[in-house]
Parts: sequence; structure tokens; C-alpha cells
Amino acid sequence: MSDLTFTRNFKASPELVFDFVTQQDHIAKWWGPEKMHCPVLNMNLTKPGAWLSTMENKDGQHYTVSGEVVDVDPPKRVTFTWAWHDENDTRGNESRVTFEVTSDGSGGSVFTLTHRGLVDEESRNGHEQGWTSSIRKLEKLV
Amino acid sequence: MYQTFSALADPTRFAIVDRLLKQGEKSAGELGALADISAPAISRHLKVLREAEIIRQDIRAQSRIYSINPDAMRKIGIWIEETRQFWDSSLDRLERAIEREVSK
Repeated sequence: MSDLTFTRNFKASPELVFDFVTQQDHIAKWWGPEKMHCPVLNMNLTKPGAWLSTMENKDGQHYTVSGEVVDVDPPKRVTFTWAWHDENDTRGNESRVTFEVTSDGSGGSVFTLTHRGLVDEESRNGHEQGWTSSIRKLEKLV
Repeated sequence: MYQTFSALADPTRFAIVDRLLKQGEKSAGELGALADISAPAISRHLKVLREAEIIRQDIRAQSRIYSINPDAMRKIGIWIEETRQFWDSSLDRLERAIEREVSK
């Protein structure tokens, strides 16, 4: 429940796919849903460091998300932290995203995105029971 | 939506919600015993949670009883769903961008 995983196959080399998911000029071509527009994109995932992006929907509402690149192993893997900002621009609960690119053996690539810890604060706050158990409970409630 | 998450980002408020989820309704006094903080501080936290519509307040025989609002908890599920949609539609666009690049 608290982890999201996506897998896509691309007819392009792992090197090219890695460039597309880590270099700012390329990220700008795909970052965010179609109907969102992205006035701020400060994302260089090719080396450790901070990143930030602000998106805007058609009603002018802003959504900011930011984090830090913690580990890069080109052209295979990059891991960065992720937190949505609240209305006072305070970062909320931190989660972690990994992009992984492998060869499919016939010239193409397999791309895997994992978003972990979206609602699990156990490790950060030392709660005896964190989000995972609360979510299980609310599943029973609703 | 963000109100739900910023309300729950605070460890004391998270502990209050966790307790209400596990043990059902509680009075302000019972919730105050949870954390070593003053009564005014507890009522501030309860107010934030109430304004975010995460918890409900009932007044019974002059005491205030708090419980979880199931609707607010459903929002958390929706928020995860929104993050899923963010990635899904971004990856659709990535796929098209790569196809354009390869067919150049």
C-alpha cells in the first residue's frame, strides 16, 4: 500500500533512457501530467544534490515537490528523496524514489520506478506503529 | 488535501490520530496524557486536526470527546492515488519523448 512500482519497456538503449530520466533538459519534456504546467524545474539527477519542481494546474494552484539526489550509478540507477510541500511551503513526510534502467537483451531497455515510504513514517519518527498500520485500520473503517 | 498532510506531519498530532484509530473515541484529557505537554498545547493540536477535518468533536455532559473522521482518512488513500497518477502520466509522456528521439 505504501510503495508504488512502475515498469516500462523502451526501444532505446539504457544510456539514452538514463539520460532522459536524469538530465534536466530531457526531464522538462515529460515531467508532470499533461494538464499540469511546470513553471519551476530545477532537476539535475546526474549527481548528488538538491532538486525542486513546482507545478501549476489550470486553476492556478501550485504544487511543489522537492528532495535530494542521494545515490547515482549511471547508466543504471538513481535514488532521490521526495516530499510534497504544504501550503506554507513546509516539506511534508519524506519518501524515496528510485529509477532503474536495465538492458532488455535486444537493444532496448526496461525502466523501473519505485516510490517507497509514501505513508510510512516508522523509520523516521520511531513510532511503534506508523502509517502502515494506520492505513490498514482505515481500510477496515471506510 | 495538503491540509491533511501538514496536519499529520507533526509527531504529536500523528500520535493523537494513531491513538484514536486504535482505541476509538477519547476525551481531551485522555489524549493529553499521551504526551507530556500542557492542556493548551493539546487543545491547539486538536484544533488543527479538527480544522483539517481529520477528527470530530462531540460535546457530552460538558466534556469534549474526539473521534476519527473516516472521510479524512479516505483522503490519504486519494493522495497516494494522486501520486500514482503523477508518475503514470509522466511516464506516458516520457515514453512519447523517447519514441520521438529514437525516430529522429
